[in-house]
Amino acid sequence: MANRIFDNTNVLVCVGSGGVGKTTVAASIAILAAKEGKKVLVLTIDPAKRLAQTLGIEGTNDVTRVPGQNFKGELYASVIDHKKTFDDFVERAAQKSEAVRKIFDNSLYKQLSTNLSGSQEFTSLEKLYSCYESKQYDLIILDTPPTKHALDFLKAPQKLSALFTEGVAKWFRDPEGKKSGFFGHLIQAGTRQVLKVLETLTGSQFIRELGDFFLNIEQWQGKLLQRTIDVQRMLVAPTTRFFLVTSFDQAKLKEAEYFSREIRKGGYQLDTVILNRVFPHWLDLRVGYEGSTAEQDLAELYSQMKSYYNQRDAIYRQFETKMSQQARVLRIPDLVKDISDLAGLEELSTLIREQETL
Amino acid sequence: MKQEIHFVTGKGGVGKSVIAAALALKLSMQGKNVLLVELGDQSFFKDFFELGEVGFQPRSIKPNLSLALWSGESCLREYAQYLIKIESLAKLFFDNAVMRAFINIAPGLPELAILGKVTSGPRKYGPPMNFDAVVVDAFATGHFKALIQAPKGMAQAVQFGPMGEQSRSIINVLKDETISKYHIVSLPEELPLKESAELAAAIKEELSVHPSLVLNKMLDVKVSRETLQKEEQNSSSDLGKFALYLEQQLDRQAEMFKQAQLQHDSIKQVPLIFELDAWGLVEKIVEKV
Ligand SMILES: Nc1ncnc2c1ncn2[C@@H]1O[C@H](COP(=O)(O)OP(=O)(O)OP(=O)(O)O)[C@@H](O)[C@H]1O
Ligand SMILES: Nc1ncnc2c1ncn2[C@@H]1O[C@H](COP(=O)(O)OP(=O)(O)OP(=O)(O)O)[C@@H](O)[C@H]1O
Ligand SMILES: [Mg+2]
Ligand SMILES: [Mg+2]
Repeated sequence: MANRIFDNTNVLVCVGSGGVGKTTVAASIAILAAKEGKKVLVLTIDPAKRLAQTLGIEGTNDVTRVPGQNFKGELYASVIDHKKTFDDFVERAAQKSEAVRKIFDNSLYKQLSTNLSGSQEFTSLEKLYSCYESKQYDLIILDTPPTKHALDFLKAPQKLSALFTEGVAKWFRDPEGKKSGFFGHLIQAGTRQVLKVLETLTGSQFIRELGDFFLNIEQWQGKLLQRTIDVQRMLVAPTTRFFLVTSFDQAKLKEAEYFSREIRKGGYQLDTVILNRVFPHWLDLRVGYEGSTAEQDLAELYSQMKSYYNQRDAIYRQFETKMSQQARVLRIPDLVKDISDLAGLEELSTLIREQETL
Repeated sequence: MKQEIHFVTGKGGVGKSVIAAALALKLSMQGKNVLLVELGDQSFFKDFFELGEVGFQPRSIKPNLSLALWSGESCLREYAQYLIKIESLAKLFFDNAVMRAFINIAPGLPELAILGKVTSGPRKYGPPMNFDAVVVDAFATGHFKALIQAPKGMAQAVQFGPMGEQSRSIINVLKDETISKYHIVSLPEELPLKESAELAAAIKEELSVHPSLVLNKMLDVKVSRETLQKEEQNSSSDLGKFALYLEQQLDRQAEMFKQAQLQHDSIKQVPLIFELDAWGLVEKIVEKV
């Protein structure tokens, strides 16, 4: 296990379920690394407006040097534009411009490139890979799109490429069955009924629309598969690490345990779990109740809150013990304010640094 | 009596699941037979309420209250079985590797299957759903938008055949405010509120309905400002810091509430509750939703 979250690391992927603080923590760690002299790029997804302003990336998709910085190293940031990244990929993957236009015009493509679950994960990795390939940075930190479960991020691109490896496009190549395409393939496989079922469920027009879509994208197959392999190689490289940001509740902590096991099975390295917003920053659990002259209601609320956080503390400790074999656990307090300027991010990064050296 | 369908959505981590459970519990306590539905293929309530298995078929978890977990694939599977009526054939279909890959990725198909199932009661389509109310612990913002846009996208892409027909009848139910209610859960914080305002606008635009806002985790403090300020003088004590924190929070909260009022017609407030027991928490929220 490395000492620091970014020791011997070129790529750091920040995963976690929706709303736990991925974007904020990713930016703070980027600052930490820049302070230590690294040339860092943080790739963010949908940052809050003020955070985007702070990073100098509001209204642009270009990689930008973060303004107002005075670090030993250098900090760059960018917002991932999913639609543009997807379109760029298609443009490169499709050999003829005629084909590109046809794809862009397809109504299913429009849905796929922006709406579909999985496509944002795909474009995030695509953007990460192209920055990684450029070899311009010591460290790239990738923020990830909001998912229900941390693991969804890694499953999504595989779902997309499964479509090609399973050869769906082949099915649609010849809908009339003249060249023993769609039907021929099915009959060969002895699964004529499967098609019938699909038609019963969806109707023949739907099948035609899809056929058109798959025919158009079939030419990506090679490029997409190659890309999937390259990206996968980058993700399991010894210099790539993952960290999980999670919030409190028993269900979430269980998910974190499960996630850490699964991610290891996949061959990825996860060695840090960040429990974010555990206590309000002012709260010191070690201090006992002072039994002061304070007003009854205030004192009551205070002790209620304190005992609540004390119980949570006990749960955290259990979690830390369970996880200690697999990953280090850092606890970050809730700063109880908006973290959108460099000072706020630096404050958070200092807290992360302190936790690391505990 | 018409079946009610409640959709609970909002930014990740704001309290959708807890609010959905409280709403379901409340309706069940009013004597309605309620189904609480989770979407996806992993159950949150299983660990939260420490239940055994949670699956596609509803299971009772309290008097008048059942829980089910629906994914796009499981909904589609049921739909297929209902239409083809031959289980072995449906199995053949879903066990086919190409079909599985396809179902998981086909634009809008999983979303449409889920909405088809959720609205099957009022549409009287598919296996009977004997519930007076269905409460859906739905997807977070981005995916929820994709969910409600799916039937329109599908109806436009495919005008003929069962997909188009189903899509149109689903849209009718989603737009009927006597049946479908939309609850956006948010926090008195800038980012979640901004997201809720955008989400409310998207839902209105797509379905011409009026979602309501649930402002969750509001600090409920019965202590006067004077008392807080007096205590703050003692800034080295923990209680002094606590008083300062409360005051700052109350200020921020008041400002956020004002902002929310400008953006939403109907707002319910749910307090932050210091309770770790899952049912304890949900029961305390029941009166507020
Ligand atoms: N330690 C902290 N103390 C106080 N506020 C925090 C902390 N961490 C995050 N926040 C706040 O929580 C909110 C959500 O954080 P953020 O946007 O980083 O989450 P996310 O995981 O990226 O969300 P999404 O999944 O929607 O992208 C923001 O308003 C952020 O300022
Ligand atoms: N009013 C409240 N008072 C105290 N704790 C609450 C309240 N509402 C929710 N919580 C707690 O906040 C956490 C997040 O709630 P919940 O899991 O319901 O959010 P969610 O929006 O469903 O999250 P996800 O997007 O991950 O599904 C949980 O630990 C829950 O117990
Ligand atoms: Mg984010
Ligand atoms: Mg939830």
